Amino acid sequence: MKDEDLRDLNLPGYEIPPELAGQLAITTLDRVYNFGRRSSIWPMMFGLACCAIEMICAQAGRYDMARFGMEVMRPSPRQSDVMIVAGTVTKKMMPAIVRLYNQMAEPKYVVAMGACASGGGPFKEGYNVVAGIDKYLPVDVYIPGCPPTPQALVAGMIKLQEKIDKQSIKHVRWYDGKKEDSVAVAIPYLGPDLIDPRRIPEIKAKSMELAQPPAPAAEA
Amino acid sequence: MNGKGILKGMGVTLQRFVDTYLDDIRWWGKRYYTPEGIAHRSSTNTKGIFTIQYPEEKLPVPEEFRYKPFLLYEEGEKGEKNIRCTSCGICAKACPTQCIWIVRGTDPATGRPVPQPAGFWIDADICMSCGFCAEFCPFDAIKMDHNYEVASYTRNLMDIDELMKPVSYYAGIRPLNYAREEEARKAKEAAKAAKAAPAAG
Repeated sequence: MKDEDLRDLNLPGYEIPPELAGQLAITTLDRVYNFGRRSSIWPMMFGLACCAIEMICAQAGRYDMARFGMEVMRPSPRQSDVMIVAGTVTKKMMPAIVRLYNQMAEPKYVVAMGACASGGGPFKEGYNVVAGIDKYLPVDVYIPGCPPTPQALVAGMIKLQEKIDKQSIKHVRWYDGKKEDSVAVAIPYLGPDLIDPRRIPEIKAKSMELAQPPAPAAEA
Repeated sequence: MNGKGILKGMGVTLQRFVDTYLDDIRWWGKRYYTPEGIAHRSSTNTKGIFTIQYPEEKLPVPEEFRYKPFLLYEEGEKGEKNIRCTSCGICAKACPTQCIWIVRGTDPATGRPVPQPAGFWIDADICMSCGFCAEFCPFDAIKMDHNYEVASYTRNLMDIDELMKPVSYYAGIRPLNYAREEEARKAKEAAKAAKAAPAAG
């Protein structure tokens, strides 16, 4: 069954044809299931750059994402449903973000907020910036803008709600016994730009050596 | 007497409490979902902070608000779209993030280039809405849009069909800018005609 058909079934007032009567219960369950999920999308509380300011603004009284049940910013990935990647993702930050994504429980969604997270923005060719998190993470909604206004963020979150509405409990990957329970993404290693903490003593020793040149040889 | 300050403070609280109800009665039924209600709630005369009920009502954006660029076209008499863009490529050169790609159009009969874009793409996920393209365009062909509801499920690469919008739309969202540009255009044409007239006569 296609996504469009499922969405039609999820609408109220739809007459169930006799050949679909056996699926009546499951589609009704979909509506309840999706209503519960769409009305309690808890974002993870982290912001990376200026987009985070707009995200904070969208959470505050003026735009009030609590109207959609998105007000509970969770400090733990275990309790959050959506990851709003708000801001420039540096190569140093990317492994941490992927690790957080892996730690989130299903169902999990990723929203790329702003130009930097979606495609790298003005830093797309930078030596230290990831040109779009979709290289490493499955992104559900892209919100263009630099930064997106709070209303644009809310529009993007409504788009995510629409996506959730189209999902069916029969087909979601986290209840499908054949597939993996949870999507785990390999933690990327992003080349030599990333500082390897194991080399910190070495780097420190080298910088100390450069800062303090060795004493000149004793006078003969 | 002790406790006077507490009573005074409670009086202020009570006054505020009563005021909120008076304000509610004064703005009964028109505080939300009406333009004057939004204007009042955003003004300095209002008391407290109010939520913009976003999908149902929208905060009006100022005229100079800019989001993503779009291309202007003049509507012909038969409904044809005469795009203003001449594919000169100045916007693509001025773009700090290099998110504009233009393909120059060619005449299919002769194979010679024509001043029209065959393809025009803007990567909305790179664009940082600086508005340089609109500032640099000598033909007033590219302008910044007010529409911010552009979230998508895939990377947002806008092609020429998505970008093209009529001049009337531009006049609607930026009336002051439009009037100024039209005036300048008319003055320029008048000067050109005045220059041409003595040469002909």
